[in-house]
Amino acid sequence: MSGSATRDRPESRGDLGGARARILARVTRATATRGKLPHPGRLETPPAPDPATPPAPTTTFVKRFTSQCGEVATPDPDRSPRDWLTSFINGLGDEVNAIAIGADVPARLQPHPPDMPPADAGTAGGESPGQSRHAPAVAGPRNSPQPLHHAVPPEHAGVGISLAWGAVAETGSLILPSTGTRAVQLLPPVHIIWVPAGRVFARLEDALLELRAELPAGVGLHSGPSKSADIGQTVVTGVHGPGRCIAVLES
Amino acid sequence: MSVRISEYATRSREAIRDRPEVRTAVTGATVAFDEKRRRAYGEVDADSWRRWAEGVKNHLLTHLDDYLAEAEAQLEANGADVHWARDADEARQIVLALAARHSARSVVKGKSMLTEEVELNPALERAGIEVYETDLGEYILQLLDEPPSHIVGPAIHKTLEQVQHLFADRLETDPGGDPDELARAARDVLRDAFINADMGITGGNFLVAETGTVALIENEGNIRLTTSLPRVHVALVGIEKLLPRMSDLAGFLQLTARAATGQPIGCFVSLVQGPASAPGDDGPEEVHVVLVDNGRTDVLLHEHAWEALRCVRCGACLNTCPVYRQTGGHAYGWVYSGPIGSVLDPGLLGLHEAMPLPFASSLCGACFDACPVRIPIPELLLSWREEAQQKGLTPWKERAALAGLATAATRPPLYRAAARIGTRLGATRAARKLPMLSDWSNDRDLPRPSPHTFRQLWRQGIK
Repeated sequence: MSGSATRDRPESRGDLGGARARILARVTRATATRGKLPHPGRLETPPAPDPATPPAPTTTFVKRFTSQCGEVATPDPDRSPRDWLTSFINGLGDEVNAIAIGADVPARLQPHPPDMPPADAGTAGGESPGQSRHAPAVAGPRNSPQPLHHAVPPEHAGVGISLAWGAVAETGSLILPSTGTRAVQLLPPVHIIWVPAGRVFARLEDALLELRAELPAGVGLHSGPSKSADIGQTVVTGVHGPGRCIAVLES
Repeated sequence: MSVRISEYATRSREAIRDRPEVRTAVTGATVAFDEKRRRAYGEVDADSWRRWAEGVKNHLLTHLDDYLAEAEAQLEANGADVHWARDADEARQIVLALAARHSARSVVKGKSMLTEEVELNPALERAGIEVYETDLGEYILQLLDEPPSHIVGPAIHKTLEQVQHLFADRLETDPGGDPDELARAARDVLRDAFINADMGITGGNFLVAETGTVALIENEGNIRLTTSLPRVHVALVGIEKLLPRMSDLAGFLQLTARAATGQPIGCFVSLVQGPASAPGDDGPEEVHVVLVDNGRTDVLLHEHAWEALRCVRCGACLNTCPVYRQTGGHAYGWVYSGPIGSVLDPGLLGLHEAMPLPFASSLCGACFDACPVRIPIPELLLSWREEAQQKGLTPWKERAALAGLATAATRPPLYRAAARIGTRLGATRAARKLPMLSDWSNDRDLPRPSPHTFRQLWRQGIK
């Protein structure tokens, strides 16, 4: 639904009995009785422990992300990302029966379909027949007996693969835009996220300010796996969102 | 939830006497939260962060009309619909109308104190809509038909054993199931609810005026799912939850998480700008933001209480409060409990409705030291007490006692006589029989007063 269509609806201003005008009038009356207080400007977040040699954002990111139970994997530089990812997923174990892939993950960052030879040098960045089925993930076949296949609905997948817009060092966060597939980011029990090289921001503010220029409809900041301590104050993971959150830092 | 604040004295006494497990669970959880908060504050320059946050919110609250208009314009430019609700009834009507328009049969909800405040769930259920609270703690309480007892940990008053019983009974889990098994059982029920829901309803931690961004903080992923899977997302946001700019959000996301749970940031943060528009985005087709007043402009108009509108609902003041730790939140009788509830509830509901909460505090000041936006809670408690005294809302015994003191204190001969009687009477058991003092002295040894009054000692030349 487009923005202009929503605004055309008569109830879109949701103004029951002039509620908007009444609320704003009261707010204006309140603010008029009080001096206008200035904005304090930017918050200076803490300096690095040793300002002379501040750690690289990537180092801080790994430290913060793993301290929140996130996992970090580094691809083998001697192999193509596809080859590496395919073996990495195969190494995750038996629970990985199917993979869902975000709509914005480029072919070169997707694992091989099960019928493709994993070490074929020609696949890196190439156009193989399986690739066109990645997007949107919900369009794929259901419950295939194959041990590994592409494009299953995310609710049936054991692994989801996404592409981060960037990462944040000071909070250990991955920034996931809704131009990927949200269900892939949230439903599979294992979430693997590619972080493009050079996209680790030192500060959250810097990342959000850059993101502001191209803000998608929805953004998720994921800082480790899903957690809850609501039962007996004991931390459990994977309550609603993924139980494992694995950041893959492209070199 | 209905207002039961006037029963505070009875309900806090009952909680301590009849349900000792509540005190054990609440004290354990809040002490742990408080320690994490202290550690997380210690890792940053918390004093300057708090002063900065106070400044941003003060700027926001003194320009709120402009920022509300800006937020509305931005949200509409993003394709979201903005609604305005003066009170709880209007907020419910707006959501019910949206549910009816989309023929919603099933709704998933993220944890939201504002939806508790406007009693949204009962209204949806009366309309025949199935409502799933999806935060694990809120889900437990929904099964028990209990309100949340804490802003951040709604079910911290429940023990593992109580949840084991409940889930064994309702979800057929093993009676000795560990938290992992119990969480998995809840996840299975709620996973189906997420996939089948027609509408997702959340609150909003912040609303950034500059970009029209509703920001939501959580740890489980249930709010990410609530704002992503259903076709329609409705966010109820209090008008005081705005932030001027995106750069402010970066600070508030970190400060709020540090204050609430000692984390550098919530495990999941959702930034909602509007409905899905890009190809490949499987998010909601419609996003509605309901801006709710429900007493907030009353607070904003109040000479002192307006500062409580800086509150980011982190729960740090509850965790550090020696009074809250004894009873948990239910005794306070409304949505917002603990120190912040005791200063916010009188503003939102009217002081008469919120009595005696301003008195439910030892004024130790720990709440101010914990507050990430430096709300002067002890000072606000005193100003509400003063207002209660002026409006004649305090108990008649207390008013009579204070009136007596005022009479004596302004008449020196009367004061001298009363002081002499006091020193003699205080030394006897008769003091325990005095109607004014029995509540206090029944449980305590009355200190023995000096046999001489201060004035007598002064005349003799005290050393």
